[in-house]
Amino acid sequence: MAATAMLEPERPIVHRLPQHKYIDAVRWLPQLSPFDRFAVLATFDTDSGSSSIEIHSLKPNPLSLQSHSSFSSSSRVSSLRASQFLQKTVVAASTAAGSLHILFSDPADARFESEVSVPEEEGLHSVPGSCVDLMDGGVECVTVGEDGRVNLVSIGNSNLSYRRLFDSGGLVSYTAAKWASPVEFATGGYGFSLQWWDQRKPGGPVSQFKANWDQNFSAGIVHSIDIHPSRKHTCLAGGSLGTVFAWDLRWQQQPIMLSGAGAGAGNTGVQSISESEVWDVQYDRCIKSSATSTRILPAMICSEDGILAVIEQGEEPIELLAEPCAINSFDIDRHNPSDVICSLEWEAVAILTRQ
Amino acid sequence: MPGVASDTVGNGALVPFSHDTKDSLAVYPLHHGLAPPISRLAISWSRGNSLRVSLFASPSSSSEPSRTSDDQSGGKVLEVKLGVGDPEISDSRWRQIAYGSVAPFALLQSRRSALSAMMNASSPYQMDWWEHVLEYSKDITSLLGGPKLPPSPIIEEPTDIVKQSQAWLPERLVDWLADYDSLFSSTQETVYGKLALFQKELVDIQVIEDDPRYWEVMSSALSVGWLDIVVKMLRLHGSYQQDQLSNRELENGLVEAVAVLISKTPRLCHESTIGKLGELFKSKPDFIKAWEKWRSQITKLDCSPFWIQCDNHRTREGLRNLLQIMLGNTESLCMATCYWIELYISHFLYIRPFTMGIESMYNLAQKCIQLKPPSSNHKLTGLMIGILEENTEVVLAESSREFGPWLVAHAIELLTAGSEQAEIVLHEERDNLGGISMIELHRLVYAQVLSTHALTWQIAPIYLTSCMKQGMGLLENLLYRQSVQHNDLLLKHIEICRLYQLDHISSDIMKVAGVYHWKHGHKGAGVYWLQQSQDTSRLNRIAQQLFDSVGKSISDESFKQWEGLIELLGSESKPAGGLEFLHKYRDFKKSLQQVYGGKSTDAA
Repeated sequence: MAATAMLEPERPIVHRLPQHKYIDAVRWLPQLSPFDRFAVLATFDTDSGSSSIEIHSLKPNPLSLQSHSSFSSSSRVSSLRASQFLQKTVVAASTAAGSLHILFSDPADARFESEVSVPEEEGLHSVPGSCVDLMDGGVECVTVGEDGRVNLVSIGNSNLSYRRLFDSGGLVSYTAAKWASPVEFATGGYGFSLQWWDQRKPGGPVSQFKANWDQNFSAGIVHSIDIHPSRKHTCLAGGSLGTVFAWDLRWQQQPIMLSGAGAGAGNTGVQSISESEVWDVQYDRCIKSSATSTRILPAMICSEDGILAVIEQGEEPIELLAEPCAINSFDIDRHNPSDVICSLEWEAVAILTRQ
Repeated sequence: MPGVASDTVGNGALVPFSHDTKDSLAVYPLHHGLAPPISRLAISWSRGNSLRVSLFASPSSSSEPSRTSDDQSGGKVLEVKLGVGDPEISDSRWRQIAYGSVAPFALLQSRRSALSAMMNASSPYQMDWWEHVLEYSKDITSLLGGPKLPPSPIIEEPTDIVKQSQAWLPERLVDWLADYDSLFSSTQETVYGKLALFQKELVDIQVIEDDPRYWEVMSSALSVGWLDIVVKMLRLHGSYQQDQLSNRELENGLVEAVAVLISKTPRLCHESTIGKLGELFKSKPDFIKAWEKWRSQITKLDCSPFWIQCDNHRTREGLRNLLQIMLGNTESLCMATCYWIELYISHFLYIRPFTMGIESMYNLAQKCIQLKPPSSNHKLTGLMIGILEENTEVVLAESSREFGPWLVAHAIELLTAGSEQAEIVLHEERDNLGGISMIELHRLVYAQVLSTHALTWQIAPIYLTSCMKQGMGLLENLLYRQSVQHNDLLLKHIEICRLYQLDHISSDIMKVAGVYHWKHGHKGAGVYWLQQSQDTSRLNRIAQQLFDSVGKSISDESFKQWEGLIELLGSESKPAGGLEFLHKYRDFKKSLQQVYGGKSTDAA
């Protein structure tokens, strides 16, 4: 990068907070008051074999997380999302037993007030691996699973209703999902495959990503998808072998590689900062990019080899954290995009503040 | 169990449980919710110290029209955790320590291999290595915060101290004891214990100098070198109070004189003594001169006529006792200290404050133990003696027995650095251990302990790969033994295989995963994993199964489902085996559709 008047990005301030329990997922809660900040953690206690979803409040000096309210779940959480709905905070969690829990919390004191769920007997999913995504307004959520089922769950005030949108009968497995608009969403699965769904055209995905990968490139599994509200035609995906790529629906044949093992050959200017599974990928709203740019907006990734980094198309990746253990999930605070909370494999949570 | 003959011969003989032998057996009742009779029982080992007990109850044969709600038939699986770890350290705390010690360990190993690659036998190599080891030691000890868990510093510091044999040995020992005396309080009386007790009662005492415990506690603190505490306590003496000052001038003078002497104790300079009481000297000749002078001052005070004029009996006796301690009177020291380590340290402070050889240190330790035999065996006693004796095997054995495999696995570097003897002993390959060295044995034991827990097993590979002989074999074992039903675990395994270049294990695991998914109906996932492992034979076999089902049930709607699977098969470069037919089927279907649409193409 040419030396410009901009100063070099300073090292972020990192606080590592051991939690003494395994953290399955972590999310910021929407901030409703300027003084308090809350995060929701899905934890698993190996000593007692119990899992729970806990709201923690962030205490500033010294920085610490304090458990505020907790909901005990029957099995481990495989996916966690948080949003707002009718002036309440909604947390959606899908579990390893195939059930889905929607928890409502009072924004004033951030305690779990009520819970509705689809229990495991109803057969939402028959496998441990499932992913849930909650719409921004919190009205609907989509759950996809490795058994090939895609379900849409509507959230009412006191009940849930769900319908099965698609069942591939096990022929395809889905590992990630993300809403793009109130009627469209994207899913990802094995072999770096991405599917685009439209509720107005039922019966299957509207389009599938048909990639022409390089000869020597071995495709992997997509672990996470993100779609930027201003670029709804582009789907960003992160998966195995440090691969992060984008699918532009307008040009369906060509993946836009941002990072990854197979990217080096033939693709100049693509750096690979991680070589193992990229667990989570999110557009980085902290860095301002011009709206007219045709490039992919910068995104943050966390990976199995302990890297938390921001990658941008055509630029050097910026490494924020390099831990000796894996970073399993992270979330960027919507209201303070310079704050990132991530869950470390060794029973700890790290909170970063970028300058 | 109905009808079990006690004389069953052969496999699975059951030993009847008779009440005579009840004393030697520990009986734990298991609570299950099943209604009797239990028809079958199965026990197997689960991870680590857990037993899995599976109980099967036969469905009740009696025809009861109503069943209570807690009547359960069927089966239950219970997991029983056996044994309890170290009661002082909770499991999660132990795990945090284990996590934190991985990075320093890995760093030290990489530095060791870098240094040995340079193959320098000269002294710069030694100094570098020693610095690395010290840094490693600091990193590890920083993990153990708080006075509750200091087993590691206890080993590292005396070992450092003894190895370095520097002139400021007594200072280091004094500081060490100041930090860790509280530990010994659990099994025997210590100066720390005495102080703590007295502190509580201090508030209630009116005339402090009349309380015999005041003087006792002060003399104990002085004997182990906690000078600031002694001086503070002396200044609490009643003669300092404003209204008393005029009456007890002589007494006060004596007390002040002793306080001044104490605060002028010569000490050999060492980083930690800065800020503490005493006069600091950097070089030995200066120190010796000051020492002689100081001793003569004490003797002068002891022989002065003021003592006769002092009328407070207790003050007089107490102060003179303090002076005796400072003069190195063995009897007073023996009375003032509580157990042999304190006596040992007081020897260094007041009797022989100069360097001693290791052997004489050991002899002195033996003498102190004889003078103050330990009433109960504290964990550290054996260890200290082992360190002083320079007997590496004893040190290892004691650490392993009392503190567990973690300490031994990490402290080995410390023991071998600077001592060639220890290095030879520990690195030598022993036949009775199967041809591996002691170092490797202890690391393997620690890696096994790590593997017993679901969260720490992924740290074990780092330790296993540092074991030259059996490490990789055990790593393979570890990877093969775990079940890979969950995707996260499966990916973790594959990641470890990638890091350590164990491609054959990786492809085996992928094959297992592929077959598992296929059998459970996740056809797409199964095909994916089998493709990754390039298992063409199995791909061909499942192609056969798919071919049969394709012919029967495919239709336009279900074709959408197949699209996904076909996409997965990808381009021609990937081995698809017999599944190629799916590509051809799709192309055929496409062309058929175009024909129906009235477009002219070539039908297949």
